Amino acid sequence: MAAMNEENGTAMHSMDEMAGPSLARQKLENLLNKSMRIRMTDGRTLVGLFLCTDRDCNVILGSAQEFLKSTDSFSQGEPRVLGLAMIPGHHVVSIEVESDSLLSPRVI
Amino acid sequence: MVMKSSVEEDESGWGLGIPEKMKNNANWVDITQDFRGACKELNLGELLHDKLFGLFEAMSAIEMMDPKMDAGMIGNQVNRKVLNFQQAVKDGAIRVRDLTLPELIGIMDTCICCLITWLEGHSLAQTVFTCLYVHNPDLIEDPAMKAFALGILKICDIAREKVNKAAVFEEEDFQAMTYGFKMANNVTDLRVTGMLKDVEDDLQRRVKSTRSRQGEKRDPEVELEHQQCLALFSRIKFTRLLLSALIAFTKKETSSVSEAQKLMTQAADLLPAIHATLNHGMQAQNDTTKGDHPIMMGFEPLVNQRLLPPTFPRYAKIIKREEMVNYFSKLIDRIRTVCEVINTTNLHGILEFFCEFSEQSPCVLSRSLLQTTFLIDSKKVFGSHLMHDMIKDALRGFVSPPVLSAKCCLYNNHQAKDYIDSFVTHCSRPFCSLIQIHGHNRARQRDKLGHILEEFATLQDEAEKVDAALHSLLMKLEPQRQHLACLGTWVLYHSLRVMIHYLLSGFELELYSMHEYYYIYWYLSEFLYAWLMSTLSRADSSQMAEERITEELQRRGSSKKTKKKKKTRPLSREITMSQAYQNMCAGMYKTMIALDMDGKVRKPQFELDSEQVRYEHRFAPFNSVVTPPPVHYIQFKEMSDLKKYSPPPQSADLYLAASKHFQQAKLILENVPSPDPEVNRILKVAKPNIVVMKLLAGGHKKETKVLPQFDFSAHKYFPVVKII
Repeated sequence: MAAMNEENGTAMHSMDEMAGPSLARQKLENLLNKSMRIRMTDGRTLVGLFLCTDRDCNVILGSAQEFLKSTDSFSQGEPRVLGLAMIPGHHVVSIEVESDSLLSPRVI
Repeated sequence: MVMKSSVEEDESGWGLGIPEKMKNNANWVDITQDFRGACKELNLGELLHDKLFGLFEAMSAIEMMDPKMDAGMIGNQVNRKVLNFQQAVKDGAIRVRDLTLPELIGIMDTCICCLITWLEGHSLAQTVFTCLYVHNPDLIEDPAMKAFALGILKICDIAREKVNKAAVFEEEDFQAMTYGFKMANNVTDLRVTGMLKDVEDDLQRRVKSTRSRQGEKRDPEVELEHQQCLALFSRIKFTRLLLSALIAFTKKETSSVSEAQKLMTQAADLLPAIHATLNHGMQAQNDTTKGDHPIMMGFEPLVNQRLLPPTFPRYAKIIKREEMVNYFSKLIDRIRTVCEVINTTNLHGILEFFCEFSEQSPCVLSRSLLQTTFLIDSKKVFGSHLMHDMIKDALRGFVSPPVLSAKCCLYNNHQAKDYIDSFVTHCSRPFCSLIQIHGHNRARQRDKLGHILEEFATLQDEAEKVDAALHSLLMKLEPQRQHLACLGTWVLYHSLRVMIHYLLSGFELELYSMHEYYYIYWYLSEFLYAWLMSTLSRADSSQMAEERITEELQRRGSSKKTKKKKKTRPLSREITMSQAYQNMCAGMYKTMIALDMDGKVRKPQFELDSEQVRYEHRFAPFNSVVTPPPVHYIQFKEMSDLKKYSPPPQSADLYLAASKHFQQAKLILENVPSPDPEVNRILKVAKPNIVVMKLLAGGHKKETKVLPQFDFSAHKYFPVVKII
């Protein structure tokens, strides 16, 4: 995580100042602060608020909760609270959002 | 800081559980492809984020799938069923009765190793509570296992209580969380020791019945049983003794400390027997697919994986059984040393005891026991002496202030009494804090010492005012006596000691760069030790003045001439040691200046800071002190300017001067009566340095560009200088 920031630290500010966000950028911005469900390569699912992403699809979720795969009998779907969590892009299997959050674009 | 706040938020989130929306299986829509596509549009290095979310927040995120940060990952990669205690018993994975002797010995040893790992700073969930038996001792039917499980829980509970109470730990020392486990609270301490004793007695009978008799042919099976029973007996007895010792520490009477000491000695006697029988226990299988956590019957390293907090899930490596006995013998030694503290009854001696104990970097449990033994209920030292009286005794022993002398009219003067009592009351807190600081780990002590100087500065101010008031009172009553700077001298002495300790500990903690040595040693030799020695000699002359008056009074009373005994001054040893330290510091200072002249000190390319910035940072805590006034960088530069000498000394002159300082230190130390280890340690540095400095003064290896080495292995504050 720290390494990623070091690489990107200086770039971040200059990019922000870029004029006119593209369509893709707008799409992503509309998802900010929405509930998101991400499945990881090891079968766990994280649910949390979408806070941040980058070109490699590294995603940061806030107030994240970890759910184990359904086959796990011991911890019957009980979530574990993780807080702020970063999922490296190459470990992301699938991303889901709630349907209503897609319908109502964010009011700016 | 960020970490902390995020943890707090999480904790508040615990209670809330899953937001309603998520529970209701809201309509989730897959956007994976869309999302990935959109991400591709972003520039390299660009972060898409909310205005309120910045790099700073991003820093505190834990990285999933990184084994160091992601505790959930390990549990997820194991392809086996993780069972809790009840499930394991039901499935027959573990038994609660008819445990064989090797099984019992193996489980107990592993459990003790877990206990030690916990004491070394890991969480209970990853150590002791990986043992399923301690989850619910009520379910255990085997009496030995049950008593042992309860014993371990009690030991954990009391140790935790002690450490919490003493409050000399930081997150790197100790994890106090119990994760909601019950620490055998439904059974009394006495019941648990009783159960252990019963098991012990049973085992002792078995040991006796299987003992070899004279002339009897030994059946190897009986011999094995004998050995195994003896092994189990030693472990149960050890557990009982350790628990009893900890219980003794919770009692308020001083006598219980010597009882604890006795119990620890008995426990130490069992260690060889435990060590010799380690091989009788069932050994853990090192299954590589399950990590290198020992896999033992009754243990499930992953059982608490879901309980771990999201941040800092440190990987707990359980110590090996072979190291267990070694750890305990050291722990027992430390606890026995702690018990010695009650034999010291004066404040300065106690302070010295705490400093010396801390120098061995003791574990958090022994540090906590020392703290709680010192102040049992925050008022009385060792539960019997009032802090108030101890401070008065310390004052009497150090400066003999007239106000505390029964022979002085101030002693029974109401106003004077009020002054001194209120002063002593105000002393109590800073001195208790000072003692508490010495209970922290070495690295944390330094920071705290810097802060306590503020309290001493306030105390110093008050001491000077009380001295002045008492002096004017005394002038009216007994004009031939003085009460000048008595209390002030005493407080100043302690402030100086704290300041010196603060600077010196920077060497021990390896905080200073080589190019900084010269001003640190300068500050110590030219300033702090000079002040310390003048403070000590003022205290000494104040003592002598007081003694003269007492003698005069005695002579007048008895009219017979008491023969003047030549006794050693109480402070003489400390004065001598300070001289030695000052010479060592001065020698190091001159060495560093000379090495710098010869281009043998690597200096940084100051870009964003300067020497002044570093200097000011190093001495920043001293700014809160009024006496002695802090020496600012500009002053330091002026005072240490070599150009004020004519002709200015060359490096050879300085090496020679340094050599003389080391020589002087050596002379002083060699004349110390009954030298302690500290004297010998300094001598080990002074002697080689004398030679090296002489060589350097003679131009030895003057041209070499290889930087000198500073070897702190002989003494943690003074290095042996090595020229290669």
